[in-house]
Amino acid sequence: MAQVNLRNVVKRFGPLQVVHGVDLDINDNEFVVLVGPSGCGKSTTLRMIAGLEAISEGEIAIGDRVVNDLPPRHRNISMVFQNYALYPHMSVRENLGFSLEIAKKPKAEIDKAVDEAAEILSLTDYMDRKPGALSGGQRQRVAMGRAIVRHPDVFLFDEPLSNLDAKLRTQMRTEIKKLHQKVNSTIVYVTHDQVEAMTLADRIVIMRDGYIEQVGTPLEVFEAPANTFVATFIGSPPMNLLTGRVAADMISLEGGLKVAVPDQYRANVSEGQDVVLGFRADNLMPVGHAMPMEGAFAELEMTVNLSEPLGTETLLFTSIADKEIQAKMLNPRPVASGEKLSFQLDLTRCHLFDAETQNSLRSN
Amino acid sequence: MDENLQHRLRARTVKYLQLFALFIAMAIICIPGLWVVLNSFRPTVEIMAKPPVWIPQNLSLDHYRAMFGGVGEGGVPVMRYFTNSLIISVTSTIIAILVGMAGGYAFARYRFRGKAAIFIGLMLTRAVPGVSLSLPLFIVMAKTGLIDTHIGLILVYVALNVPFTIWLIDGFFRQIPAELAEAAEIDGCTRWQAFWKVEFPVARAGVASAGIFAFLTSWNEYALASQLTRSTFSKTMPVGLRDFTSEFTINWGGMCALAVLMIIPALILTFLVQKHLIAGLTFGGVKG
Amino acid sequence: MTRFRLPAWFALLLPAIIVLAAVVLIPLVLSLYSSFTSYRLTRPETLYNWIGTFNYEKAAKSAHFWSAFGRTVLLLTIALNLEMLLGLGLALLVNQVTYGQRALRTIMMFPMMFSPLLVGFQFKFIFNDNVGLVNNALQSIGFSNVAIPWLVDGQLAFFSILVAEMWSSTSVFAILILAGLFAVPRDPIEAAKVDGCTPWQSFRHITLPYIMPFIYIALAIRSLDVARAYDIVQIMTNGGPARRTELLWTLIGRTGYVDAKMGYANAMGYISIFLAIGFTIFFFRKLNAARAELGMGG
Repeated sequence: MAQVNLRNVVKRFGPLQVVHGVDLDINDNEFVVLVGPSGCGKSTTLRMIAGLEAISEGEIAIGDRVVNDLPPRHRNISMVFQNYALYPHMSVRENLGFSLEIAKKPKAEIDKAVDEAAEILSLTDYMDRKPGALSGGQRQRVAMGRAIVRHPDVFLFDEPLSNLDAKLRTQMRTEIKKLHQKVNSTIVYVTHDQVEAMTLADRIVIMRDGYIEQVGTPLEVFEAPANTFVATFIGSPPMNLLTGRVAADMISLEGGLKVAVPDQYRANVSEGQDVVLGFRADNLMPVGHAMPMEGAFAELEMTVNLSEPLGTETLLFTSIADKEIQAKMLNPRPVASGEKLSFQLDLTRCHLFDAETQNSLRSN
Repeated sequence: MDENLQHRLRARTVKYLQLFALFIAMAIICIPGLWVVLNSFRPTVEIMAKPPVWIPQNLSLDHYRAMFGGVGEGGVPVMRYFTNSLIISVTSTIIAILVGMAGGYAFARYRFRGKAAIFIGLMLTRAVPGVSLSLPLFIVMAKTGLIDTHIGLILVYVALNVPFTIWLIDGFFRQIPAELAEAAEIDGCTRWQAFWKVEFPVARAGVASAGIFAFLTSWNEYALASQLTRSTFSKTMPVGLRDFTSEFTINWGGMCALAVLMIIPALILTFLVQKHLIAGLTFGGVKG
Repeated sequence: MTRFRLPAWFALLLPAIIVLAAVVLIPLVLSLYSSFTSYRLTRPETLYNWIGTFNYEKAAKSAHFWSAFGRTVLLLTIALNLEMLLGLGLALLVNQVTYGQRALRTIMMFPMMFSPLLVGFQFKFIFNDNVGLVNNALQSIGFSNVAIPWLVDGQLAFFSILVAEMWSSTSVFAILILAGLFAVPRDPIEAAKVDGCTPWQSFRHITLPYIMPFIYIALAIRSLDVARAYDIVQIMTNGGPARRTELLWTLIGRTGYVDAKMGYANAMGYISIFLAIGFTIFFFRKLNAARAELGMGG
């Protein structure tokens, strides 16, 4: 049993508070990803779980045991660092076996665990090399191997892929996912890359400025963002946002446009309320371009400023009241800049946020 | 919870023990120097008092007054020594920096055969103990008439400082990418201009710290100076310090005052460059 | 117009080579020659009196020489090791401090500014049996009521010299090792902590290999400079009383200048030069090995 529980965890560096009372329960065998822009406190939170950073307030428990003041070595965790943190003076084999060596495990057991890890990560050919003689991807695998030989209760990953090139990153992402299925352990993973978060996580924790903004499965945070920050942070391209005011079941948006208040929000808005309307590019398409047959639509006439063909689809950049709005077009055809098109906005997939609190007006 | 408490207590104990150890270490470093400074302000009677006087009763500038008066106690011409030291140290430092800069640049920017051997050879000249060197130097200087002159000692100190200066400056130049000078040459500089207009300004901090190192070495050197200087005409301060010791008595207060006079320039200079000093030493060595 | 031109690197190195040749090389050749003669300062004609290896044999047979030689090696070994350990300890302590570290570093550099001669004088004063700080303190707290002859008793004098030497040079180690500690990347240390290392284990297995090159640099720099100890000893005891703290260097100085036996002194000087060069080369080798270990390469 290795669940991780954070209760009102606070971190201060001198007068500067960087983590504000974080509450989080991570289940056994769960893959949780902490994601957020740099400086949001995600790495600090991870380091507090690891015991590399003292906590200023609150309580951290790993598997029913409060670990507030325990040094890292008493927490039975392992960690993969952003810069791999391999020991440069040891060979790959020594790097992998180091933690077991320190724990004074018998030689045979160490060899077995090391060989096993090397097998899983296909490192068997490099065992006698030093880290200096390895490529980035190989180093990354050694760092992961070093983490798995210990069979820890919890794996911690601190932006492990951010130093790899795009292709390797995708490849290692898959390997990490496979690894989780193989070793069946609790994983806490920190990244600033929302794609990584979406593809890897059982649950995503989105952080900003030391607060948790939302916790949920990848689908939940994508489909039902709790506020405008999550809405723009998760998903690519970011959600389009337009401010407006509710008047007689209609929202009058900036730029003089008017759309009906989406049905699912009708009960939650009041007359004269300032709101933010959010919709993704996927839900704004030129008329006649693969929209679902039924639903509630608003029609908007807009000029295309720029188009980006991506192969199977084309991204269209338009604007409303000087605000850039992105739309999508399936079955691509060339679109000239300045071309005027009629767009359909799928109101059933729209999001409505309160303009003052920026929180979602969804009812649940 | 017990486990947590135990670890917290242990961490705290270790921390206080560390602070205590640090305090002791700093005290050991500071006290001898402070004691010398303190005694330079105390009258000889109080220094010699039995039982010792711990809390100074009357502090005065008597020793300094006597020292600068030139005559006073033992008539040690301190100002003369001070001037000698200054002339010799400054001149030798400037020359050592020029020579060292040329040498350091050669090691940092050119590839040539036997580079490592020449480098080690230069460094090893520094390993020759002063006394061992002073004997033959004494003979050579006596023959060439350079003994007891400023020039003689300046020459010796240049030689003493060049290896280390080369080492430091080589390290600093190596940190400057060669592309920088190349870019300057493409922009129309000659190699000579590229050096003075681009590389030198970037390495200036390193050169300054090498210079201060050289100055301190010359300023503090004793083993060679004590043999190569004879009269007040060329004696430096470290040699002059011995004047306070006669056969049977030692003028502690006077010596302390001279010691303070010696240490002040060194103190100021070291504070000015302490950051570069460490950087220079380690870059020179590790990146070697 | 094919004028021979010196290669640029050689032209740049030439001034350094000329100065070092004039001040170091030529005198050393002269002293090598004179070490095979019975040269006495007072009688210049003896410079041409070739006596072969007589001076070296004389040194090899001299009890004074060997005791000074042994004492020098002993002093250097003890001093360098203790300075290294204390410097390491001091650097680790200072490295732990986050607030006011700059001030501590500045204080740490304090002894480096002191001329070795000044260090000698300072400790001669402090260890003075009559007015010295140490005896005054010991007597005031009632630890001892007699004046301890710190600089007169052979072993105590050796100890006092050791203290002075360590005071003046420990900070060189501390500062260089501290620079090394700054250069240690944080990640491997944290990885070691997570891997289950106690503070001691992570120091032993991770930090130490990282700072080994810095330790050897410090040792190499110090061994280039060991003869600094001459100044300290010269002023504290001048090898006395009755040769009880005689080091190779004080013996050479006395033989050459006081007894005027230049040939003999130069022979011993050569031995001391090889001693110093030996130490230096030893540490440079170690430095390169430690660097290779970390994959830094030369």
